[in-house]
Amino acid sequence: MAEAIIRVDALSKTYVSKERKKGRKEKKPVQALKGVSLEISDGEVFGLLGPNGAGKTTLIKCLTTLLLPTSGGAWINGYDVLREENAVRASIGCMLMGDRGLYWKLTGRENLDYFGALYHVPRDVRKDRIEDLITLLKLGDFVDRTVETYSAGQRMILAFAKALINDAPILILDEPTVTMDVPTARELRHIVKELNRQGKTIVYTTHLMHEAEELCNRVAIIDHGEIIAIGTTQDLKASIRHEDVVTMEGIFPNGSVERLRAVPRVREVAVTEAESGRSRLDVMCDDSRAVLAKMIDALSGNGATIEAIKPKEVTLEDVFIAKTGRTLAVDTRVLGERAVRGRGG
Amino acid sequence: MAAETVAKGFGLGRPGLRASLDVAWTVFVARLRIITRYKGAILLESFLPIFFAAMPILLGIAVAGSEENAANNFFQNTQAAGQGTSEYRLYMLLGSSTFMVVSLMLWLIGYWIRREQETGTLESLYLAPAKRLHVLVGVTSYSLVRSLAAFVVAMFVGSLLFGVNPLSGNLLAAIGYLMLGVPALWGLSFFFGALILRVKEANSVIQLIQWVVPFFMGVYFPVTMFPPLVRITAMAFPPTLMNDAMRSALLNITSLYGPGYIVLGLMFMAAWITPLLGYEFFGMMERRIKRNEGVGQY
Repeated sequence: MAEAIIRVDALSKTYVSKERKKGRKEKKPVQALKGVSLEISDGEVFGLLGPNGAGKTTLIKCLTTLLLPTSGGAWINGYDVLREENAVRASIGCMLMGDRGLYWKLTGRENLDYFGALYHVPRDVRKDRIEDLITLLKLGDFVDRTVETYSAGQRMILAFAKALINDAPILILDEPTVTMDVPTARELRHIVKELNRQGKTIVYTTHLMHEAEELCNRVAIIDHGEIIAIGTTQDLKASIRHEDVVTMEGIFPNGSVERLRAVPRVREVAVTEAESGRSRLDVMCDDSRAVLAKMIDALSGNGATIEAIKPKEVTLEDVFIAKTGRTLAVDTRVLGERAVRGRGG
Repeated sequence: MAAETVAKGFGLGRPGLRASLDVAWTVFVARLRIITRYKGAILLESFLPIFFAAMPILLGIAVAGSEENAANNFFQNTQAAGQGTSEYRLYMLLGSSTFMVVSLMLWLIGYWIRREQETGTLESLYLAPAKRLHVLVGVTSYSLVRSLAAFVVAMFVGSLLFGVNPLSGNLLAAIGYLMLGVPALWGLSFFFGALILRVKEANSVIQLIQWVVPFFMGVYFPVTMFPPLVRITAMAFPPTLMNDAMRSALLNITSLYGPGYIVLGLMFMAAWITPLLGYEFFGMMERRIKRNEGVGQY
């Protein structure tokens, strides 16, 4: 296995959050990261998965020196994020804020030149690098227009080009394909793979499981400020493979989930709300063939209307459900406190 | 767990003096490019000092009854401060034009930080290895060029409108005092920028300085007219020193601070101390923000 290029050691971050209740301002500590430790190998594509508020962005902000951790440490490309901030920044190309972070009154080319200078890329090298990026990312049609005239997708591509301007050994990409159309997102993933093939280490956060499965050598699932699972996508999926996943679609009255959970050999249930009162249940169970009839009985007895039942391939999403009892989808409903953290990996 | 990780260099980045100069220059050029894409912005602000000066000049004439009476009244009042000049129009025009330089230097930095916070480019700046000082040199140099352009246009057009000759005194000394006052203005702009970074709101702070700064600078009157405590505070304010030094050179009058060598000594001191304190304050505020919510939150 290659040597680590990113090392995180017991990193914790506590914010002071201000809450306003009945006109009174209260300060409350919020622990966004709880002793996170991990290593990312040189040349790896490492996925960081988790729902909103899980701590992904806080971890990335600590790694990129935007935030000071409360305790613990991290080292990137041989440099300490606390003591050698500028060397750490010079080691990374970042795309953290989607299409924000660009100057709208400058053209795409002027933006790239500006950020190239901030990354200490010499002027003559910068010129060639910009031309290379224009070709690689097909920016030619719009790079000499001011950014204010760009579509959201064009701004995202320019933000990606900005992350590549210094040709750093490490790339940190936070949801880079959000707002991109399908072909552009596919093209970007292709470029990410190519950059990785050239030797770059890539840290990639996404909500899109197919992206993580397509790109990442290893992933870490982060929830409530802790890493709850880490490994290759195959290993993580294998860790729950002894369980079947069945998807049920229909109208499920209140109490259906609880009844389903009470069925022997049902391990976890996650609900995703659809439209018109319809929902999707992802049910994780042992031996679905044997238990399916009991699940149907439990739901029918509660007045549920089941419109479809499908067996499902185990995905990273199912790994997340198995670990947390929730789905990663934006419209996820939290299913009480029956988290199964620490199970299976 | 061992701390070290493998090191693979900085890609295309080549830090060093040349790269640092390139940062300051690129930031400076980018700011100029952006402002020139807002049509007429620089030209319009150049006329502001003329209006600032016209109001007290016309008020003085209205109260005194004639231009001659206004000049006599002004002479008597400035005589009491040990200066004695009847050239109230140039006094006001120079005061308001210098105020414009101070004001622009401060609020261009304030608005720059606020705008960068809102658009997300501040976080991009903090992700880059360029030192904050080099970026600030680029931005403050741009602010300086823009404010000096406003100063020159205002002095030229204002002199024509008010019928005064700004070249009658020691112009070179006045320019020297102006340039010597600039580092202190940089220092003040660092303080001001840090404040905006912290409070995340520019308008109210800028509104406040629009009134407090000219008041303490003595834009329309000698600060010796203040009660002792306010006078000492006003005279300790570097822009007041710069304004008074420029007036003493252009109007051939005595400075409120004393002989020329004292004025020069004080200006050198302000040119060193204010930027150092300002930059330290900026760094302190920056660390405080990074310990909690981070620069990205606005």
